[in-house]
Amino acid sequence: MQSNYVTQKLSMLFLIIGLGWAMNTLAAISGITGSSFNLTAKKDYISTPDGNSIPMWGYANGTGLMQYPGPTLIVNQGDTITIILKNELPQPVSIVFPGQTGVTATGGIAGLITREAAAVSAPVADRTVTYTFTATHAGTYLYHSGTRPELQIEMGLLGALIVRPTGFNASNPTAYNHPHTAYNYEYLFLLTEIDPNIHELVEFNQLNNVDNTAYFPAYWMLNGRAAPDTLLAENNQLLPHQPYNCLPRMHPGDKLLMRVIGGGRDLHPFHHHGNHALVIAKQGRLLESTPGAGPDLATSVFTIPSVPGETVDAIFEWNGADLGWDIYGHQPGDPLEAGEYAPDHGKPIPVILPEGQNLAFWWFLERQSIFRK
Amino acid sequence: MNVISRGYLVPLLLGLPFLFVVNPISANVFVQCPGDIDGDAVIDTPDPNHPHAKCMHLSGGDGFITMADGKEMYIFGFADVTGLTPGEAMITALLSANMPSPAIVLNEGDEFYLTLTNVGMVLRPDLFDAHTIHWHGFPQAAPVFDGVPDASLAIKMGASFTYYYKVNDPGTFMYHCHVEATEHMQMGMLGNLYVKPAQNGTPFTYQGKTYTQFAYNDGDGSTGYDVDFAIQMGSFDPEFHDASEAVQPLPFAHMKDTYPMLNGRGYPDTIISTALPAPSKNGGKVSQKQSSLITANQGKRILLRLSNLNVTEFYTLASLGIPMQIVGKDAKLLRGPDGKNLYYQTNSVTLGSGESVDIIFDTQNVTPGQYFLYTTNLNYLSNNTEDFGGMMTEIVIN
Repeated sequence: MQSNYVTQKLSMLFLIIGLGWAMNTLAAISGITGSSFNLTAKKDYISTPDGNSIPMWGYANGTGLMQYPGPTLIVNQGDTITIILKNELPQPVSIVFPGQTGVTATGGIAGLITREAAAVSAPVADRTVTYTFTATHAGTYLYHSGTRPELQIEMGLLGALIVRPTGFNASNPTAYNHPHTAYNYEYLFLLTEIDPNIHELVEFNQLNNVDNTAYFPAYWMLNGRAAPDTLLAENNQLLPHQPYNCLPRMHPGDKLLMRVIGGGRDLHPFHHHGNHALVIAKQGRLLESTPGAGPDLATSVFTIPSVPGETVDAIFEWNGADLGWDIYGHQPGDPLEAGEYAPDHGKPIPVILPEGQNLAFWWFLERQSIFRK
Repeated sequence: MNVISRGYLVPLLLGLPFLFVVNPISANVFVQCPGDIDGDAVIDTPDPNHPHAKCMHLSGGDGFITMADGKEMYIFGFADVTGLTPGEAMITALLSANMPSPAIVLNEGDEFYLTLTNVGMVLRPDLFDAHTIHWHGFPQAAPVFDGVPDASLAIKMGASFTYYYKVNDPGTFMYHCHVEATEHMQMGMLGNLYVKPAQNGTPFTYQGKTYTQFAYNDGDGSTGYDVDFAIQMGSFDPEFHDASEAVQPLPFAHMKDTYPMLNGRGYPDTIISTALPAPSKNGGKVSQKQSSLITANQGKRILLRLSNLNVTEFYTLASLGIPMQIVGKDAKLLRGPDGKNLYYQTNSVTLGSGESVDIIFDTQNVTPGQYFLYTTNLNYLSNNTEDFGGMMTEIVIN
């Protein structure tokens, strides 16, 4: 009876995994595409899994809701990109594009780092600024406010910029213009942290009391959500201001491109279980010895040290090769799965798993997240 | 005469089965090891079907260590109970957690049967935490043996789980418990784990000297070494540990590590070559067995397998007087996809938690004496409020 219990639980586990794989149809990172974008800086609230709600400033897509992070801008290498930023916040805001060169800013008002969209109290004409640049290099980038960045990036004014390489083919995608950067699926991992005290002070108009020397984050986010909300679907109606999730899925044998961005102030050692990943690029530049060589300076890691402001592209693969047993639980006569490592086909699991009463299961997590709609 | 009213009878009868299902009535120590006939995880008669089998039995529980300033710190951790019968193992393992946890040393090609027995927390009878072993960085991991409780299975108190690993890849890994990882890792369930390459035993001559031990299957002897050491950087927050010992709420987001360590010791305990004396609070069990002193004769090549496994900080470790050559990173020979050599020389390495490097120190032209290996995060050259200590050890060249 007890071993049946384990079998039943394991079957459920595999069913969940199987369903996850079967449901997976998203090959690309969600965001807004094109060469011309309208962003609006505004304020609203995000939710955290502990039940808290945090006042934020963020970029909205046009007249849409404020979102954290801002819309992921997906553009094509070589295109001239225009971003029109409108401001609804009580202080000036702007956008800078680390890694892009020749950015021009027009309109708005003068600022320290770039031209800014004036505060909501200013004349309407000053509240809009336009940025233009040519996306000369493929890769993963960050964009964020260039106005009081020590405050405004913490408040949420940041987002990801992805530049597709010249000749990009969505059915056979590459991260850069080289076949060794091919992938089947891509996922964004925008790492940020939040110190809720700063957000409270801003909400109560106590800006002068913000003390960056006392910075102490208490929330850590992937794509604007903390676990287990990261596992919820995209555009979940319970999280209207956090449209992006972070639930990478792939089939054995597929190549999964991780686009990792350090969007906060702290370093984070970002560990992926399962296998090594090949780091092919940093800061939107392929790790190659000579132009056109491909990622010949790439290294395999099991932990990606994510550095503030830095982006990393890494390719993850897993097929369970040479485990010494058949992870699918096949009988020797069963057909092979796609991507299955054939030499282990039909080999039984080499140890007896404990009886169910001796095992702890973390089912509550699944109940709270994956099945919550 | 007492009569159970029918109103109570139905829920009582419905509840009875749960009472028996939930109770760990058949929990026991259960070691699985091919060729072991008495359950002590020692192979008695090699099983011809498993010629490369290797077994180990670890217990997971609580214990104490002594910090370099004398403070006795409550910890969670693993202890090695290989060679003990199941009955002995259970009794011996109580309150015997080690820091760092026992080193796991394997050879490429091993079939590794690792039994974990959860012996419970003696000082925290209110806890009924499960434990797992996560082999951090294991290539091509299977979720069931990866130790992530959310994705697989964790073992409850009084019972055993045997992990199976087909050890295909050499390199410097690390291991830890993954149940409530922030808590169990801050509490000390952390250990060294490394795999020696299949190339070992085959002589290669490199720079005029012949080696038979290597960090990786390099094909040219360039990772050859004479002596090797494994050191894990780490750190503890005393307030967290004290709160755990005193059954208080744990300061998760306010964690602040103030005891930086190498292999579970702060300087000057790091340079003691033997096990530290047993703390008083755990009943006199020796719990800090791994030194972090590096010694070699002049001219020898030293391999240092360095990992960082703490919960809060990146640490930089610097070498004064003997350059570092980095030949491996995250359990991979440091070469590009096409074999391009990416080894580099440096005086320091910076590792976040869960990163590892393989460092070669060549002592060919090094004058005999003491050399320091220390963190350049200078505030961590301290043992909490004691201002000279922390993350530092010596390389002694004779």
